[in-house]
Amino acid sequence: MNRPIQNLLSITLVLLLSCGPMFAQRGGGGTRTSVNGNVNRNTNVNSNHNVNANINHNANVNVNKNVNVNVNHGGYYGGCCYHNNTAAVVAATAIVTAAVVGSRVYALPPACTVVIMNGLTYQHCGSTWYQPQFVGTTTAYVVVTAPR
Amino acid sequence: MYKRLFCSIAILSFSLSLMAQSGAAPKNADIDPAAVAALNKMGTYLRTMGTFQVKSVQTTDDVLDNGQTIQTNGVIDLLAARPNRLRAEIISDDRHQLLFYDGKSFTIYGQLVNYYATVPAPPTIGEVIDKLDEKYGIEMPLVDLFKWGSPQADFARYITGAIDVGPSSIDGTSCEQYAFRQQGLDWQIWIQLGDYPLPRKLILITTDDDARPRHSQLLTWNLAPSFNDEAFTFDPPDGAQKIAIAEIAPSASDKKETKTGSSK
Repeated sequence: MNRPIQNLLSITLVLLLSCGPMFAQRGGGGTRTSVNGNVNRNTNVNSNHNVNANINHNANVNVNKNVNVNVNHGGYYGGCCYHNNTAAVVAATAIVTAAVVGSRVYALPPACTVVIMNGLTYQHCGSTWYQPQFVGTTTAYVVVTAPR
Repeated sequence: MYKRLFCSIAILSFSLSLMAQSGAAPKNADIDPAAVAALNKMGTYLRTMGTFQVKSVQTTDDVLDNGQTIQTNGVIDLLAARPNRLRAEIISDDRHQLLFYDGKSFTIYGQLVNYYATVPAPPTIGEVIDKLDEKYGIEMPLVDLFKWGSPQADFARYITGAIDVGPSSIDGTSCEQYAFRQQGLDWQIWIQLGDYPLPRKLILITTDDDARPRHSQLLTWNLAPSFNDEAFTFDPPDGAQKIAIAEIAPSASDKKETKTGSSK
């Protein structure tokens, strides 16, 4: 007697389950580079991929590439190894000029000089100071207050 | 008349029940146990290897915001001496990096930028891989080689399809090609036939991205590499500057994950 209801419930459940991947798709695309990697983190890699791939695109303009030669070869994302956790960082990547302290960029503006103070390495670009760091295996630059 | 109606209802409910069953358990029919067994055999073999050197010629698709796919090339040269030493060189269009692990610390060196960073590391390759992933968001190159055959690579848990495609030759070596499915990922692997069941080629297709980007690895193995201890320790070249590695700020969902992970 309860069988049809049970079946209906099962079907509903199946429908719900089959909707699952649709939600997952919203996380955004990207390329997994390992079978055994963390799936969730990889979704994050992917959004990072996209933004940085655009930077990559810009880097193909020879002028920019030449400007960057001495400061940042690692400035664009090559498809390896980093997974990022915050969308805010991704946003910061795109806005290179908005030098908010604590924000992170993956490519420096042109005409920076390397300054070493108190044993720490800085990049001084115009009025903005950056501290390089590895973010995953990519070199990134965090905006810091002027060192003294 | 009523009998007929009852019959149709019975058939309908039976077929619904069949649908429900096939929906709830699609796995068994799509999984060839022989393909899973081959994967397990390869994993078991990989776990027996003490030292090895492997070179991966690989490609990775980047997906632009407009959905366009751009392929990048890279080469990874990895030397591992279990349980506690590893060295990897990553060369691609935009980077030339070296990773060193000597059982005590892990160093990443970016040769083009001449920056390096060193952090303390746990005592085994398996642990350092997990720490780099969880704390710094670094996926060790060719990480699968260290995961297959380990309890973490529990195929039964996540594989939804497994096919033995058939014989295939890679670089003149006889292999068997297999295809697997799991959520968000279709992948194929070519496993060498004979006494050394090594992965020789790997293709990953990310299926939860509309662009279906690919990653491929073509692997060349050296099972008797010559090396010395210096291979695993970093000696900063002139002018190399030490910088930090950013730690991941875990999101709420990641925190949960870490918790379940650490309770294992």
